[in-house]
Amino acid sequence: MPEPRVRCSDLAVGHDGREVVGGVSFAVEPGQVVAVVGPSGCGKSTLMRALAGLDPAMAGDSWILGERLGGLDEAGHDALLRRVGFMFQGSALWSSLTLAENVELPLREFARCGARERRLLALHKLGQVGLLGAADKHPAEISGGMAKRAGLARALALDPEVLFLDEPSAGLDPVTSARLDDLILRLRDGLGTSIVLVSHEVPSIRRLADFCVYLDPVSRTMAATGKIDDFLRPDAHPGARDFFSRHAQP
Amino acid sequence: MPSMPEVADSPARFSLATEGACLRISLAGDWTKDGPLPDFPQLRDGSEVRWSVEELGKVDSALPAWIQGLERAAPPGVSFRHEGLPPRIRGWVLLASADAESDGGEESLPWIARLGLWATLSKASWLRAVSHIGELALGLARLLVGRAKVNWQEFPQLLRTTGPDALPITLLLGFLTGVIMAYVGMIQLGKVGANIYVANLVGLAMAREMGALMTGVVACGRTSTAFASHLGSMNVSQETDALRAIGLRPVEYLGVPRLLAVLAVLPLLSVFATAAGILGGMAVAVGYGMSAEQYANQVIEAVSVRSFLTGLIKAHAFALIVAWAGCYRGHVARRNARGVGEAATTAAVLGITLLVVADAAFAVLFNLFAFY
Ligand SMILES: Nc1ncnc2c1ncn2[C@@H]1O[C@H](COP(=O)(O)OP(=O)(O)O)[C@@H](O)[C@H]1O
Ligand SMILES: [Mg+2]
Repeated sequence: MPEPRVRCSDLAVGHDGREVVGGVSFAVEPGQVVAVVGPSGCGKSTLMRALAGLDPAMAGDSWILGERLGGLDEAGHDALLRRVGFMFQGSALWSSLTLAENVELPLREFARCGARERRLLALHKLGQVGLLGAADKHPAEISGGMAKRAGLARALALDPEVLFLDEPSAGLDPVTSARLDDLILRLRDGLGTSIVLVSHEVPSIRRLADFCVYLDPVSRTMAATGKIDDFLRPDAHPGARDFFSRHAQP
Repeated sequence: MPSMPEVADSPARFSLATEGACLRISLAGDWTKDGPLPDFPQLRDGSEVRWSVEELGKVDSALPAWIQGLERAAPPGVSFRHEGLPPRIRGWVLLASADAESDGGEESLPWIARLGLWATLSKASWLRAVSHIGELALGLARLLVGRAKVNWQEFPQLLRTTGPDALPITLLLGFLTGVIMAYVGMIQLGKVGANIYVANLVGLAMAREMGALMTGVVACGRTSTAFASHLGSMNVSQETDALRAIGLRPVEYLGVPRLLAVLAVLPLLSVFATAAGILGGMAVAVGYGMSAEQYANQVIEAVSVRSFLTGLIKAHAFALIVAWAGCYRGHVARRNARGVGEAATTAAVLGITLLVVADAAFAVLFNLFAFY
């Protein structure tokens, strides 16, 4: 059995000493896609940031690519972050750089190729998310959905082994959203990338996710894990069942 | 695992073989982000490209990126058949090409056309400047009839930052200007034994010209840039859009209080600068043996009420320029971090240029109407 790409046990995360959600334990194997779900404000983004090592956890342990977060020195931590891609809920593109330059920046800092190769790679990544025509635009000149996709292209720049996507399809039209799902599946199948994503779209979760992690805002814990259909059964966690059956309705 | 990937051991390379109309490109070596990729081969129009792989080493997305770059660089008649690629690479190439087609790239214009675009842009920017002035004037007019919605809350703070906060630097520059002119005057007038007229020179120059001008320059550096970067960053964070969304007019709401604050404060500052300059001249004159009383009498005699008014009129005009340059550049700032910086720089340049132009225009006007 290979080492899980991401693992956490009894993880608790929060802000300013206030716990937002605790008791989170699960593992993501190579090539698996996991969906973190729950009502808004339940701590999905906070959990993602902690899992990816962007913010420290409040309690518990987590591992990425076999390395325990918190057990690393700063240099080791940074090196680990390079093998992880993170797409932010708010895109977080650098506003003074064009989209191509946004994708090139990680390459410039962490790959040893020249300017021409960087440009080719940036266009390739932007092409994957359907933004080749907008490569030389600035973030302020594109729509919100395009900014999301550009954020994904930037997260893919270094061919990460683990990818965290915070609400990748929120605010996208159905066609673009379906194409994004295709891309995620291709990343999983082609490169064996492990993906942790936050999503509210039940059809998309059903298509992509190997299992779901449900965060319950009432008990402030990970209330359930499982396949999406497990959550729709009568004996499922009531909060989770309620959440999914509402979202499953057209 | 090493923190940095290893440098490619065997560089990326390819060999070409022509089989009739078909060009076969055989790939070998490591195709990764950590080594240089070979230059694209020349492709003849109408040829068909096929791939084969031999001793392909490490591969990451650098290979599909290179293949797509080749596709973009190829003449339109070249066709590509990707069957010979490893399935994984082929998938990547096909996925991105499909998306590229559906998105429709933006044509890059030849430079001469871009020049045309630039000309209309700059015409548009003139129009924008004029319409900004119009909006600001309209805001003032609406204020007079009591219909303007203006952010009075920040008015006291605007008064303070444009006025008292700028006083020390304005006084210093005014004083030094007086000192410089007095030295020039002493040397030249001393040659003809007319030292005493240094007081006239300094007094008149400060009151009519330099008091208002130095104050205006300081205000361009401090106030215009502050306005431009503040309004520009409100643009970036869509705060101005949010104002518009609730039915306010950003130019009126933000611009009018700024204009009024500068208009109220800058003439006063100019009076202070004039006084400081005259004192600076006195310091030099006293150093050259003139008595302070002599100097003061001479200044009072030389500087008429009209001269003083001339300076005051200019100061009001300069205030309009300073406030407008800042508000305008902030208003049209590009919506990113660099845009805010550019707004501040261009506000200072625009403000100082307009100050000098206006000063020259005043010189001509006052001369025409014999107002001195
Ligand atoms: N930077 C922050 N500082 C303090 N509290 C925060 C911060 N970001 C989010 N929170 C709080 O943490 C909780 C969870 O937020 P978040 O993880 O963004 O939720 P979700 O992504 O599930 O919608 C919310 O109650 C929110 O108010
Ligand atoms: Mg969130």
